[in-house]
Amino acid sequence: MRIWDIAWKDLKVFLRGRTRVAFSILMPIIMMLMLGFIFPKTGGSYSGNIGIYSQDLIFNAKVEKSLPASQTNKMIFYNSKQDLIDALASGKIMVGAIIPKDFSLSIALNRPVTMDVIPSPANPQAGIMMAQMLSDMFGQAGSQNIKQNIVKSNLINADGTNFNYYDFTVPGLMAMIAIMSVMTGLASAITRERELGTMDGVMVTPISRGSIVIGKILAQTIRGFVTAMIILVISWLFFGVSFSPVSLLWTVFLLLLGTFSFIGVGVMVTAAMKEQETAMITMTTITFPMMFFSGVFFPIQQMPKVMQYIAYIFPLTYAADALRNVITLNVGWNFIWFDVAVLAGFAVVTSLAATFTFQKLIQD
Amino acid sequence: MEDKAIVVKNLKKYFKDVKAVDDISFEVGYGQLFALLGQNGAGKSTTIRILTNLAVPTSGYVEVAGYNVLKNPTEVRKNIGLVAEKVILYNDLTAMENIKFFGRLYGMKDPEIYDRAEKFLKLFDIWDFKDILISKMSTGMKQKINLARALVPDPKIIFLDEPTLGLDPVSTKHIRDFIVQLREEGRTIVYTTHVLHDVELMNVDKVAIMRKGKIVAMGTLNEIRKHFKKAEIVEIETDRTLSFNDPKIKILEQEDGYAKVEVEDLNQFMSYLTKANIKVRSFKSLEPSLEDIYVEISEGKLDAEIETVKE
Repeated sequence: MRIWDIAWKDLKVFLRGRTRVAFSILMPIIMMLMLGFIFPKTGGSYSGNIGIYSQDLIFNAKVEKSLPASQTNKMIFYNSKQDLIDALASGKIMVGAIIPKDFSLSIALNRPVTMDVIPSPANPQAGIMMAQMLSDMFGQAGSQNIKQNIVKSNLINADGTNFNYYDFTVPGLMAMIAIMSVMTGLASAITRERELGTMDGVMVTPISRGSIVIGKILAQTIRGFVTAMIILVISWLFFGVSFSPVSLLWTVFLLLLGTFSFIGVGVMVTAAMKEQETAMITMTTITFPMMFFSGVFFPIQQMPKVMQYIAYIFPLTYAADALRNVITLNVGWNFIWFDVAVLAGFAVVTSLAATFTFQKLIQD
Repeated sequence: MEDKAIVVKNLKKYFKDVKAVDDISFEVGYGQLFALLGQNGAGKSTTIRILTNLAVPTSGYVEVAGYNVLKNPTEVRKNIGLVAEKVILYNDLTAMENIKFFGRLYGMKDPEIYDRAEKFLKLFDIWDFKDILISKMSTGMKQKINLARALVPDPKIIFLDEPTLGLDPVSTKHIRDFIVQLREEGRTIVYTTHVLHDVELMNVDKVAIMRKGKIVAMGTLNEIRKHFKKAEIVEIETDRTLSFNDPKIKILEQEDGYAKVEVEDLNQFMSYLTKANIKVRSFKSLEPSLEDIYVEISEGKLDAEIETVKE
């Protein structure tokens, strides 16, 4: 009976917090609906352009002649590997193939040949499928007589290292972990201070409410920065993620901006909550779906259209996209400016909103 | 109006249907010790929160240190200090780190903060604990540091919302004595408490008793006692056992010539004694304690007689 008394008391306390209960009910609903709908109902078909940089002079003419127009229409030829990478970064092509010098000759001699294929960092699954398709297509186009496909695809990153699925997830994971660490910090920095009464102590001093918010944002951004540094080191040490000096700087900048872009929302949510537990549940309800919607684990391009529109509401989507371009394709400002602009916009608008609404939110 | 530290006119604070503060008005002069009394939920803390700029009133006019709390909140906050029921200190910082942090928010420089912290911590006899984490301290010690924290910026007006709650009698006395000392230094103090004995011992300048969001009694301690005195209580030592047939005279206690008597009309009682030729060896009139009045008001027994006492 005493056990039940303890359990009943805990449940009663929980049920007394309306926001807490509301978000506890909302969270599984959102999670289930989201997980159910982000995956496509029909699988296996991928569409998109194929980028080709051919080092083989006779390859282009041969492809034009031997492949049907429906297939060649989707092919875009580039003059250099960098052009191919730029096209991948800008989303013009889904996969980029690098045809080696001896490609046509090897096929003619029925000799096995390998082509490097770089999948799009935004949708590597599609890239991998299309790489397979390419090897079948070119193998058949080369010789009608061969029974076994002699063209092999070698999946690589832009820097030539072997590609694996982790290369797709790591940039998004970095942004997500940095953002989530800050969210936890905010619940403690604002709601807990309210609970303890120290927030009252700060609010009765002559410091402006805006300065309090900016101070809180600064502390959490620094916290996010430290987390980002840890993530970078772990990725480099244990998962073979490599950075050029430039991409390293971009990565640090994007992690900071990604974190900063979300703090304003976090400040508003936590300032409106009187109990830390409610703040934590609310934050989880926002951040957890975000990590599925934002293409951290599953490419946005493969989600149903409606879900894709929802994905673009979350700043994490832009942070993950920019980080992928920077880390896996090693490209810079020209290909991430839009993501940076959106993140900066999020950051400025939500921080200003947080600064202006803080006093109202925190009052009785 | 300029010589008033606090001016409150027709202040209201409603939370949906709950009238937390319901049309109250009062003034506190500079250098006064003002006590705000009332049961839990009477509206004391909400009033303090509005005066300290932590809550916005539903309506009414509030001026603190000569500034309107809504129009000049920063100026108000420059002149006030708050010691609330919850200790305003960070557990993971030391006493001195806490004091420095809050002092800096008032724009003070570190050496100045240090000097003033030293003065108060030595006065409270806790200077040796300045570098100890707050989490390692007793409740009494925390409250002393909390007081020091509020006083270091040298505020003109100090709000003390139940500062002795949960403290042992010795710590309570220390804090009570210190509050009296602060008043003597010329500071204005607004003090809320349940410990009515403290209010009587501190000889506050003015008391306001709140009930259900309204001020039901206000004035000096003597004015309030006088106002709510229904009957005179006298302690009398006589040469014989007393007995009266008048319902207006009640013998409350009687033993060995000593009697405690409640009388509605003291003159009539004295004439009874003279007529019966009773020799009076000693006579003392007892004032009703603030606690008696407070309990009766809080329980609503004095509702019919409630009338705000004017200064």
